[in-house]
Amino acid sequence: MPASLPEPPASSSPSKPHIEVDRLELYYGSVPAVRGVSFNVLPGEQLTLLGPSGCGKTTTLRAIAGLEQPTAGEIRIDGVTVYSAEQRINMRAEKRGLSMVFQSYAIWPHMSVFENVAYGLRVRRTGAAEIAERVHQALDMVQMRSFASRRAAQLSGGQQQRVALARAFVFSPSVLLFDEPLSNLDAKLRADMRIELRELQHRLGITSVYVTHDLEEALAMSDRIVVMRDGLIEQTGTPDEIYRLPNSAFVADFVGSANLIRGRHRADLDTDGLTALETPAGHIVYGMAYGRLVGAELVVSVRTVHLRISAEPPAAVQNVWRVPVQQTVFQGDFTQVHLGWGPQHLIARCAAMEPLAAGREVYITVEPRHVVVLGA
Amino acid sequence: MAGYGVAAVAAVLVLYPVFFLFQAALDVGDPQVRPPTAYGFDNFNGIFQYPQILLNTLTVSVAATVMALVFGFVMAWILTRTNVPGRHLFEQLMAVPYYLTPLLGALAWSLLGSPESGFINQIWRALGGTGHLIDINTAYGIAWVMALFEGSVAFVMIAAVMKSMDPALEEASQIIGASRLRTMLRITLPLVIPGVLGAAIFVFAEMLGSFAAALVLGTPNRYYVITTAIYQLVQQYPPKIQVAAAMGVSLFAVMFFMLFLYRRIVMAGSYVTITGKAFRPRVADVGPLRYLLLGVCVLYLLAAVGLPLVTLLYASLQKIAVAFPTAENWTLDNFRVAMTMNAVRSALTNSLLLGFGTATIGVVLMGLLAWLIYRSRLPGSGLIEYVVMFPQAVPRLVFAFGLMWAWVVFPIPIYGTLWLLLLAYLTVFLPLGVRTIAGVMLQIDKSLEECAQMCGAPWAFRVRTVTIPLLMPGLIAAWLLLFIASIRELGASILLMGPHSKVITPSIVESWFGTSSELTAALALIQTLVVAIAMIVLVAVTRRVGAHPVD
Repeated sequence: MPASLPEPPASSSPSKPHIEVDRLELYYGSVPAVRGVSFNVLPGEQLTLLGPSGCGKTTTLRAIAGLEQPTAGEIRIDGVTVYSAEQRINMRAEKRGLSMVFQSYAIWPHMSVFENVAYGLRVRRTGAAEIAERVHQALDMVQMRSFASRRAAQLSGGQQQRVALARAFVFSPSVLLFDEPLSNLDAKLRADMRIELRELQHRLGITSVYVTHDLEEALAMSDRIVVMRDGLIEQTGTPDEIYRLPNSAFVADFVGSANLIRGRHRADLDTDGLTALETPAGHIVYGMAYGRLVGAELVVSVRTVHLRISAEPPAAVQNVWRVPVQQTVFQGDFTQVHLGWGPQHLIARCAAMEPLAAGREVYITVEPRHVVVLGA
Repeated sequence: MAGYGVAAVAAVLVLYPVFFLFQAALDVGDPQVRPPTAYGFDNFNGIFQYPQILLNTLTVSVAATVMALVFGFVMAWILTRTNVPGRHLFEQLMAVPYYLTPLLGALAWSLLGSPESGFINQIWRALGGTGHLIDINTAYGIAWVMALFEGSVAFVMIAAVMKSMDPALEEASQIIGASRLRTMLRITLPLVIPGVLGAAIFVFAEMLGSFAAALVLGTPNRYYVITTAIYQLVQQYPPKIQVAAAMGVSLFAVMFFMLFLYRRIVMAGSYVTITGKAFRPRVADVGPLRYLLLGVCVLYLLAAVGLPLVTLLYASLQKIAVAFPTAENWTLDNFRVAMTMNAVRSALTNSLLLGFGTATIGVVLMGLLAWLIYRSRLPGSGLIEYVVMFPQAVPRLVFAFGLMWAWVVFPIPIYGTLWLLLLAYLTVFLPLGVRTIAGVMLQIDKSLEECAQMCGAPWAFRVRTVTIPLLMPGLIAAWLLLFIASIRELGASILLMGPHSKVITPSIVESWFGTSSELTAALALIQTLVVAIAMIVLVAVTRRVGAHPVD
């Protein structure tokens, strides 16, 4: 919710991007990790780089940090060029004024919690009294004040995570970078920390770039998401846009589970702004293009949660089919139903439902607005 | 840039002597004139004037390798795969033979097994036997002593393979219905064979280049292997420098090839070690048999450690070392002489001085090199690694030969001084120091350093506050290992020390051939005591590392 964002730091004007990544490329020898990526991060914004492992998201983050040297492109922070292949600029990481939370937490085992957090202030030659005050303030914010004199080895994973966080923001960096900071925590703690992190980020109002492969994390925490694949950007948008209107099969499938349906455009059947598609099996599917170009061959995406199953014929007239149940899989919060649909099968996820016997015929339906025509 | 400076120092240390070794090997001109007047391969033909030496080398090395592998394999199997009592203690004790040095073993086993005066043969005759029961001054005697010590190396390598084998692999075979024997033959053996083969090649390469046992046990009978032959050719008058150099180069080539092969096998062939995951190996209940196996363990440690130490201690307390003690034969004189003789005292002082110097300078140099190779991502760091690990493939005696030849012509007159020995030690121990420090360095997660960088700390600040404190256990261990290695060094020192820069280990050898065996025993024990003290500190330090998780 961008509206609830606090005032951005006074140092940069709101209209100007805080971080600009421009045609960034990074090769390890001849192996490409990032193949030309451009995006901006606005002041105070939380931007997430989302993608499967090996998509180049961490490499991009580390390039912004200055821990990896790119092969081509430019990176500017606060209007200052910190990396430029053309101008042969590569500012060292410690000079960029950023901060980072590492996947492994990187808590120094030979220092106490206090010393870990104080490190960035000591580097900046802050006075002892101010160090004590700011470290305690930071530890308060992550609820770790009572642990100040502990050694890192005596902390649990979640506690280490909090210390790492306090250490990262205590010296008021201009940007916080997060490299999959929650991936080593167990599922429950991860969900709690997600909320805490988001809240903290809002309170600090700090610009942050967050890397994760976890969809829920990205949706819950970001102002904007950049979906990456094979070193390229697949789609950029708000969490809502990314989820509701994926523009490719990859995004549709990666961001939540989706049924992908291919077929021929039947322009003669288009009505009321709906786009009609005929599958090879002869099913007619109505969907929406949301302003996207509609070609002769189409792919549409239907989220598994948007398929409705009923025993009686539903009221709708479009997108209704009578199909056999192939299999139901009970998964706790939801039940996954596999349905035969011509030569392909569809998957529907329904909240708490009686298991359906295999072979039974049911009706399925989906609202046309949930059938999204994917970009070419 | 400073990085390349350090790398350049290492390169000069390693390559400068190697260059002179090759130059001498290819020098077919007048041996009195340097630089060489003509080059050619004739010196290598000279090697074949000594076919007996090549045969001896092969006999000793093969016999020793086979024995060491048998020791290593049996001990590894007993200590990792059976429920023999006290196996954790034995596993720790298995490192001791390696630290006792083959020289000590050779001296002790010479006292025990020489055909006339050897204690075992004396007892044999006293019991009514005739002639001698064992003769240690033979190829198999030399191999026996070498194998006792290299056995602990083979043990470490083979035990590591056995430990890293996932027991599920064997269990899967048994679940499917295969018998124990079938599982052993079809699953266990094929899985450990690459590791054993790797150990065999590594041990064989070490045996080819080993020197001390053959020097002590072989030379009195004029039984030479290639290393003692090189030493002889350099020491005799007139010296045959060029043939010795050609032998050195050939030996180096063979060892280099062996170690190359070893790396290939370890990298390609071993299915079990690549995961790097430690499994709890499946321990077989061997029933009452385990007391027999316990006996085997005790026997090995007795032959490699107990008996040699007791023998030396006994001999050092006798006026004349004979097997049967009499009241008036006991004395502490040998220790008194050892501690008061000027030559011995200066040798011991020099060795300690060199030990401190090598360890202190070495830790700084090798720490920087380890950081350059494994952390800096400096272009060409792979090449630096090769140069630094190079001395591993060169027997120290051969390396010292190159150094000697190199520094004789060097404008700064360091030949015959302790400085040359310091240079030699720093060079030949490069692989030891760099590997020890790298072992700890690679355990330290890179992000610990990166995080300091992200907190804004410049390089020197990061190294001081994060890298060095985390590395400290590794640096202390490396310091102690370098110190121990310097105190025990023989192959390089024996060629490079001058009349005013004597060190302890070659002095022990000189004493053995020149004075009495009783005094030598006392000297060897004094040296062992110094090494043992350093060892105890080392164990204490590494224990603490184990208790302090660095992840």
